Amino acid sequence: MTRPIWFLLTSVAMATLTWVVGWWMVPVVAAILTIARRDDAAAPLLAAAAGVLAWGIVLALVARGAPAGSVAQTVGRALRLGPNALVAVTLAYGGLLAGSAAELARALATPRQRPTPTL
Amino acid sequence: MTLPRWLTTGIAGAALAAGLVHGFFPIRNLPALGPLLDPAHGVWAAARTAELSAEESRALAGLGEAVTVEYDDRGVPHIFAATELDAFRALGWVHARDRLFQMEMTQRAASGTLTEVAGARTLELDRAARARGLPAAAAAKWASLAADDPTRAAIVAYMDGVNAWIAQASPAELPIEYKLLGVAPRRFEPVDCFLLLMQMSQSLSFRDDELRREAVEALIGAAATDALFPVDAPIQEPIEPVPGRTAPTYLTARFPAPTSPTPAKVATARARLEDGRRLIAGVESETKGEAVVGSNNWAIAPARSASGHALLSGDPHLQLTLPSIWYEVHLVAGELDLYGVSLPLSPVIPIGFNRDVAWTATNTGADVVDFYRETVDDSIAPTRYQLDGEWMPITSRLETFRGKRGEVLATDTLHTTHRGPLRRTSAGWTSQRWTALEPSGEAGAYLKAIRVRSVDAWYEAMSGYRAPAQNFLVADRSGRIAIRSTGRFPIRPGDGRGDRLQDGSTRASDWTGDWPAERFPQSMAPAQGYLASANQQPLDPTKRPGYLGWDWPTPWRAMRINQILRADAAMTPEKMRLAHTDPQSALTAPVLSALREAMRARPMASEEARAALAFLDGWDQHFDPESQGAVLFDAVLRTITNRTWDELIPEGDSSRVATPNSMLLVRLFEDRTSIWWDDRRTPEAREDRDQILVESLEKAWRDTRAQLGNDPTTWRWRMRRLTNVRHLLQLPGFDRESLAVQAGPGTLSPSEGRGTAGASWRFVVELGDTVQAWGIYPGGQSGNPVSSRYADRLEGWRLGQLNPLHLPRKAGELPGMVRQSVLTLTPAAR
Repeated sequence: MTRPIWFLLTSVAMATLTWVVGWWMVPVVAAILTIARRDDAAAPLLAAAAGVLAWGIVLALVARGAPAGSVAQTVGRALRLGPNALVAVTLAYGGLLAGSAAELARALATPRQRPTPTL
Repeated sequence: MTLPRWLTTGIAGAALAAGLVHGFFPIRNLPALGPLLDPAHGVWAAARTAELSAEESRALAGLGEAVTVEYDDRGVPHIFAATELDAFRALGWVHARDRLFQMEMTQRAASGTLTEVAGARTLELDRAARARGLPAAAAAKWASLAADDPTRAAIVAYMDGVNAWIAQASPAELPIEYKLLGVAPRRFEPVDCFLLLMQMSQSLSFRDDELRREAVEALIGAAATDALFPVDAPIQEPIEPVPGRTAPTYLTARFPAPTSPTPAKVATARARLEDGRRLIAGVESETKGEAVVGSNNWAIAPARSASGHALLSGDPHLQLTLPSIWYEVHLVAGELDLYGVSLPLSPVIPIGFNRDVAWTATNTGADVVDFYRETVDDSIAPTRYQLDGEWMPITSRLETFRGKRGEVLATDTLHTTHRGPLRRTSAGWTSQRWTALEPSGEAGAYLKAIRVRSVDAWYEAMSGYRAPAQNFLVADRSGRIAIRSTGRFPIRPGDGRGDRLQDGSTRASDWTGDWPAERFPQSMAPAQGYLASANQQPLDPTKRPGYLGWDWPTPWRAMRINQILRADAAMTPEKMRLAHTDPQSALTAPVLSALREAMRARPMASEEARAALAFLDGWDQHFDPESQGAVLFDAVLRTITNRTWDELIPEGDSSRVATPNSMLLVRLFEDRTSIWWDDRRTPEAREDRDQILVESLEKAWRDTRAQLGNDPTTWRWRMRRLTNVRHLLQLPGFDRESLAVQAGPGTLSPSEGRGTAGASWRFVVELGDTVQAWGIYPGGQSGNPVSSRYADRLEGWRLGQLNPLHLPRKAGELPGMVRQSVLTLTPAAR
C-alpha cells in the first residue's frame, strides 16, 4: 500500500469511527494501522496528520448547515481560549492521540523479517 | 539530528498516556478532554442539535395515543394529545429536549446537591439550601399526595416524559454544559416538581428580615427602625381599590431621632447581618431591592377597553437568566386548550390563558417567615429545647454532601423543632417557621385552574394554593375581572406583627391561625373598571387593618399604572404593550419638587448646583436609553440617599446595614429640619434638608462630569443603566450583557445599575369572541447557546415589543409559513 493511500485510509477510518463510536477510536485506529506499516519511519507522523485531518473532516461535517462557528465562539470564550484556539486545540488533540499511539505501536511491533539478500 | 529510538518511544508513551488520562478523567477543574473535544459528540455536537428537524418521529413509552407537537416560528411547541396525561408526558419530553441542564440546576440548587456537579465551590450554597429545609419539605409534600390524586398522575406522566428523553438522547444530544462540567444527567423524580415550586417560594418569600431588623435596631433604636422600615407604607395606592378614591393617599410619617449605638450594639448589628447573609446564601431574592421587585399586572373591564372586551396584562419581574426561567407552550388535549409559560421541571402553567380565562400574578411580598430565639439544653449539640417550661426533643438528622466522584465533602447535623429548622446564629439557637415548608397544594391548584371557564371558578380551583402568596389577577371572556392576594397569611399573637425575633420558649409566640379567604386583599368586578398590582402594600391599613408584612416596596409603579389606567377609558392591547416599558416614574416629581424648593431656600447656592437644577428642569423626566437628564437625576438621588441614611452605616464600615426605600426619603422631604438630614460624618455642621439637597446637586453634577465628560449633552442613560442576562453558570460567551433598556428608578420596568433582574415575561391577552394574545420573554426557547432559538427574543424584549401568539385549535392548523417543525411522539412499550 502506498503512503498516500495508507494516509487516506487511516484518516477516513479515524473520522468514521470517531463519528460512530467516539474520540478514543483515534489512537486505536492509529495503532492498528501503523502496525501494518511498521517499517515506515514516517508512519507516526503521517498518523498524527491523519488524526488532524480526520477530526477536521468530522468538524466540517458537523459544520455543514449547523452553527459550528458559534460553538467555536461560545465555547472558546467560555474556556477563555478564543474561537480559533478551540479549533486548534481540538485538531491538535486528535493529532496527539494518533501520532503518539502510532509511534508507540511502531516501537512495540516486531519489525518484519527482511528477506536475506542473495548473491 | 535523529533522536534515539528509546527517547522517541518514551516521549510517545508519555504523550499517549497523558492524552488518554486527560481524555478519560477530569483533572482539577478541567473536565475529561475526550468527551469534551470529541468533534462528533463533544461540545461541537451542540451545532448538530441546535435546530429542530422539519419532521421527526420518536417513540415515547406510556403514551395512550400518538401526540403531535408542532413548533411555530418562535420555537413554541403546540402539543396536540388525546388525553391530558399524554400532553403532560409530551411536555416533559419537550422540556427535557430544550432545557435539560436548566432542570438539573434547578433541582440541584433546591435539593442542595450542586456539589455533585460543581464540586466544593458550591458547598456553602448546598448547606444553606438544606438548612432552610427545602428537600425535606418537598419530599413530605410529594408523599402527602394520595395514590389516586390526579396531580400525582400528571406529575408522574411529566417526569416519565423527561426521563424518556434522557434515556433516548445520544451523547451528542446532551446539553453542552454537561460536557463542560464533565457530568452526566441524573434521573428525575416526581418530587423534583415540588423542589422547583419550593425554589420559587424561596425566591419570592424567604427573607432574613428579623435578623436584618435586629441589626438596624441595634444601630438606631426600635422607634426609628419602625419609622424607616414601617409596617404600613406611608404612601397608599393599595391593590384592593378603595371605592371612590382616585389618587394615592399619604399616611402620617414620623421620623423619630436615632439612638447613638454603643460599640456593643455595633458588634451586634454586624453579627446579625452576617447571620442574615448565611441564612439567605444562594437565594435569588425577589422580595427586596427597588429594582429587583418589579412585577406588574393589570386588567381592564370591557367598559374601559376600546374593543369592549376584557384585557389582561402580565409583567412578572425576576432574575433574568439564559435560558429563561419560562418556557412557552400550548397544550391541547380534550377539553384542555391552554397557552402560557411553564416552568421546566413541572407540568404547571403558573401564568397563561385558555379560551375563556386569563391569569397572571405579582408577588404579594407578605411576611410568611418568622424566627424564634430558642432555649436549648446544649449550646454546641442541642438535643432538647424549652417550651412552656418543658424540655421538648429536637429532631436531628445527618446530611452528607458529596463531590463529583461521590466523595464525601462534608456532613452537617440539621436540627428541627416543631416550628421548623433550627440554626445557630449570633442571637443564639434560632428556629424558623415558613409557610412554604408546610402542607400545601400548589401543583394541584394550578393543574385544576387551567381548565376552568370563569374568574370565580379559577379562584375556587386555587383554594389549595398556599405559597408563595401571589396577587393573582384574572379576567374572563364574560368581561369579569378580579384580583386576590392568594396564599397563606399567618395570624400572630399579641400585636400581630412578625417583623421581630420571637420568644421561642413559649407556645404563646406561635401562629394562631391563618387569614380566611374572605379577608384576603381582593376585588371582584370593581366599579372603577380596572385593577392593578405592583408589589405594593395590598390593603390600605386605614380601611382594612391587619399585619401582612412590613417594609413594603415603593408605590411608584402602582401609582404610575393607576395614573395610566385612570386617564384612559379606551385601552387597547397596543397601549398595554407601551405601558410595559413606560419611560416615566412617579418618583421624579416629588424629588425634583424638593430640589427646587431647596434651591429657592438657598439663594447663595453655587453655580454648579444652579447648572445641575437647570439641566434637570430641561429634562422630560423620561428614562429612555438616550436620556441625558436621567443620568443626573439618578446621580442626585443616589447622593441624597448616601448623605441621608449615614446613621445606618456601622462606625468603621462603608456600607449601610439596610437602606430605607425611596418612599421614605420622599416623605422625609416634608421635614426640612429632621435630625435625619444631619450627616454624622460632618460633626462640625448640623445639616438640614435644603443643605443636603443642594450639596447633593453639586456633588452629583461634579461627579457625573468627571465620569462622563464636562458636556452633559453627551451623557446618555444607557451609559449608566444596562441589563445583563446571564447564563445559569455565568459563562462568558453564554451570557448576553450590556443591553440598553428603557427603565429607571420607579418606572414600570425598574432597573438598577448593571442589573440582572427585569421583566421575565410580558404578555397581553384580549378575551374577545376569539382570544388574541401577544407576549415575549428575554431569551429563547432553547437552552442550547448556539441555537437560533437561544436568545432570539432578546432584542425584541429590549425594545418593548410583543410577538403575536399563535393559537391553533388542532394539529395542522398552524399556517405553513409559521410551522417550523413537526414532531410525532408515538406510543412505545415501556
